Amino acid sequence: MNLKTRRIAELDRVIHEPGRLMIVALLSAVEQADFLYLQHETEMNKGTLSSHLSRLEEAKYIEVVKTYRGKIPQTLLSLTAEGRLAFAQYRRRMKEAL
Amino acid sequence: MERGPVMQEHDEVTKMNQIESLMKRPVLYNNIDGVGELGMGFMLLGFALLSWLQANSPRNAIWHRMDVCAVWVGLMLLGIHYGSKAIKTHITYPRTGFVEYRKQKARGWLAFVQGGVTALVAAGLAFAARSHWDIDGSHWGITTPVALMGLVFVLFYMLHIARAVPWKWAVASAMVICSVVIAMLPAGVVGEVGGSTSAVATLSERSFGAWLLFITMYGAIFLISGGISFVLYLRHTQPAAETAE
Repeated sequence: MNLKTRRIAELDRVIHEPGRLMIVALLSAVEQADFLYLQHETEMNKGTLSSHLSRLEEAKYIEVVKTYRGKIPQTLLSLTAEGRLAFAQYRRRMKEAL
Repeated sequence: MERGPVMQEHDEVTKMNQIESLMKRPVLYNNIDGVGELGMGFMLLGFALLSWLQANSPRNAIWHRMDVCAVWVGLMLLGIHYGSKAIKTHITYPRTGFVEYRKQKARGWLAFVQGGVTALVAAGLAFAARSHWDIDGSHWGITTPVALMGLVFVLFYMLHIARAVPWKWAVASAMVICSVVIAMLPAGVVGEVGGSTSAVATLSERSFGAWLLFITMYGAIFLISGGISFVLYLRHTQPAAETAE
């Protein structure tokens, strides 16, 4: 296994999955965003997006806050400090691997 | 079929480019409904109206009083701020989602530096144009700096707004054409726009006229472009169903 391949193999698999990578990249640029925004940008259906968010929440990379906007339920999502660090490391390793 | 190392590396490069592009999407989302441009358009036209009133009223008219100008600008900025907020809250967030941007201390400084650099570049270009083409100070020397400032403005527009929406390149082109038209207008026309009483003692009617034309044209372009974006946004989006997420 060459160095590049090894670097790629060392990447954080939670983030490396394309769907989750989109979510983390979008959240990295904002303070917080709601579920609807992520659904609009990623074009995923609710089930798929929820499943990716659960996986990221399990890894403690995102924080999920359920609230209301008027009478409408709203799910706010933000990257945790741990999530930001993991994403920064992921980007660095990806750049090294290329 | 197994993917070779070259294809794998190509995939990773593509992925990295996609990450960088995704990270820029929230910033571009700010004008998805055209509200940013509408705000800019109202602001420029508000300044244009105030300038026109100043140019076409006697020196002792209320439009020349500092307190009246401050109230005008304050009301205008408040209207734009709360108007944009209302559109975002009642239309944009229920349709395509809510985003809270990161508060970066550096961003304020960055805007300040960008503004300074823009002013310097415009001044530098104007100076270079005057000395290189030997433009006299009577007409070309007045309209050229305004037109060049417009071109610098277009660069920022292309960088921050047009790259997200292909048809906005036409808007950028319209801005460039406007800048060129202002620079080519006969001195008499520009002087007439400037009115009979110059609002600022140090500015001639022609300088003032060129400035007034610039902010009116750019304001109108922003307003039209923002209005089109807003209508397209309303057409292509629906309020989300109120179901659990």
